[in-house]
Amino acid sequence: MKRHLAEQLLTLALVAAGGPALAHHSFAMFDQDNPTELEGLVVEFKFTNPHTFILLQVKQKEGEPTTWNLEGGSPSALVRDGWSSKTIKPGDELKMTIWPLRSGAPGGAWNVNQINFRDGRPVVDRAKND
Amino acid sequence: MLRRSSIGSVAIAVALGAAMAGARAHDEAKYPDWKGQWVRMGGIQWDPSKPLGRAELAPLTPEYQAIFEAGLASQAAGGQGNDPTYTCIPPGMPRAMTVVYPMEIVVMPETTYIMIEYANQLRRIYTDGRDWPEALEPSFAGYSIGKWEDEDQDGRYDALLIETRGMKGPRTFDASGIPLHKDNQTIVKERIYLDKANPNILHAEVTTTDNALTRPWTVIKNYRRERKPIWFEYVCAEGNHHVAIGKENYYISQDGYLMPTRKNQPAPDLKYFNQARQ
Repeated sequence: MKRHLAEQLLTLALVAAGGPALAHHSFAMFDQDNPTELEGLVVEFKFTNPHTFILLQVKQKEGEPTTWNLEGGSPSALVRDGWSSKTIKPGDELKMTIWPLRSGAPGGAWNVNQINFRDGRPVVDRAKND
Repeated sequence: MLRRSSIGSVAIAVALGAAMAGARAHDEAKYPDWKGQWVRMGGIQWDPSKPLGRAELAPLTPEYQAIFEAGLASQAAGGQGNDPTYTCIPPGMPRAMTVVYPMEIVVMPETTYIMIEYANQLRRIYTDGRDWPEALEPSFAGYSIGKWEDEDQDGRYDALLIETRGMKGPRTFDASGIPLHKDNQTIVKERIYLDKANPNILHAEVTTTDNALTRPWTVIKNYRRERKPIWFEYVCAEGNHHVAIGKENYYISQDGYLMPTRKNQPAPDLKYFNQARQ
């Protein structure tokens, strides 16, 4: 219960501070006013500090699929939220809401509250971690 | 002869062992129990009692308030502002004590080690009575001299008082970019102590004196004890895709290309590359 409360507080702190990886850099380069939904296939999951990365292959209406560079929270944060380097694997299908790069390049930021498998299952079952 | 020598050796070993054990027991009883993992309570702003940024009311001089405002404007436009840590420069002192990811404190009689997971920061607090070195080579963490205090005079130390000097820049107080003076004459005084009512909460009262400030600025940082810690390795260079080139910050995609971070951002100057001359 205590841990649950701590997690809620942490989540609140993350939201209040405006980003999943709040400590390492300003998130102003990501457009937080225009969250974008992406569905796609995981090419790679990089569990590295200072940020994790998901490379997500997303189908376009026309032409070749685009690989998005999606920056997530630090493993130092995720590991305490029940994540590991094996939580997401190449070939997994994900549905996530991201903040896109303001420049329009195929990159963005995500946080743990806005990511699920495509079939709706949570990536990490938070209830189990309590 | 041989036998007598052996008995003598055993006797010496026993005596030494007893003396060492005695010394150790004595020391452990003298110092506070700060074992375990200390996890930040509150956000990553320098003053955890206030919201991040302007609302922290940092007592900046007009010159440094203008530098702070320019950094905020840069961040509002999608830049990184004054905060240097996005290129993996460590926070340094005093910002290290925000303890973004947890810390461990190892108390030894002559030195106390503060090991902070975020950015792999190590602080050595010398408590052996030394004075400041004549030549102090600047570092992000600075040089720290500490003194233990038995405030209630019960024979056990309650607080570690630390003074830290000799920092180098660039440093800011936090991610909003509250600046420290470029002359790096910062002096940080800390008082670290356990909460009187709850021994699983640690406080650090941190007072920063700096030429960017009109007066010393004191904040109180709080940490909760985790007895079953998870530790993680933090190597910032491993997965950092933010890069500063000239006055611009760019993003390196996972396939090795430079990406713009804001609309209509100019590409970097490639004057040292042959292709740029074609």
